Amino acid sequence: MLKPYVCVACEKVIIAQDGVASLIALFSKIILTIPAGTEIPRDAVAPKEWAVFSIWDPEPGDDLRKFFLCTQILYPDETQFGQIAKSKFNIEPNKRSQMNMQIQGFPIGQAGEYKIRSWIEENDKKISDPIQFGIEVIMNFTAAPTGASTVTPP
Amino acid sequence: MSYRCPVCMFPSLLYPPTNYHICPCCSTEFGNDDADFSHQQLREMWIGNRAPWFFGNPPAHWNPWMQLMQAGLASYVPKEFRAASFQSSAVLRQSVAGNINLPNYSNQNLPQIPVAA
Repeated sequence: MLKPYVCVACEKVIIAQDGVASLIALFSKIILTIPAGTEIPRDAVAPKEWAVFSIWDPEPGDDLRKFFLCTQILYPDETQFGQIAKSKFNIEPNKRSQMNMQIQGFPIGQAGEYKIRSWIEENDKKISDPIQFGIEVIMNFTAAPTGASTVTPP
Repeated sequence: MSYRCPVCMFPSLLYPPTNYHICPCCSTEFGNDDADFSHQQLREMWIGNRAPWFFGNPPAHWNPWMQLMQAGLASYVPKEFRAASFQSSAVLRQSVAGNINLPNYSNQNLPQIPVAA
């Protein structure tokens, strides 16, 4: 069965015509800088594209099977964000399989560690242990801007 | 067949957005609400109310901001959500592995290089 070789989160993946992948900006945390007093709702999503990129080593015969890569994002309180993304593997004998799951936004409704979890399914059954890594969301509250100009006493 | 709401971009309307059909997501009544306001104005009003789901229960794991982004309308996401930056907390040690796979010559087996007389 497919064995994981790489699984990372990054801002962008560039795939050359010959299939060589370049990963841009591997990240492990998201910092949100907002004025003090700003309320971030539970369903907030930062409009930043990112990707979960993975590479898998096949075993003989894997090219004859239908595997799906499933990716799930969990909030710090372990509730799920969005749907579980499912993508079919394209497997060729003796070649590594590259999977690029692009996601259009990152949830920011809770501060803390989000979990990115990926696993393989065959016939709608989980057949591998999940690969899991964390992305931390940190909220930095800055001093609220004051509208009035300050007057320096003489 | 399903249709997309031109206001909130909900992609699964059962009926075309005309003839007084109502979007279950943003509550726009087509032919009535959009007679008085443009779709953009209705969208801004819906977002101004924090983009709530209107009728019944929303689809599982529905998110209004992802719905807008997937329709190419990320610019409508509140600006405080946009103040996010990706960063790494990893430490880095760079090294150059110059000795890997290079033959280790001793004085006894130095390669013979012809030298001009």
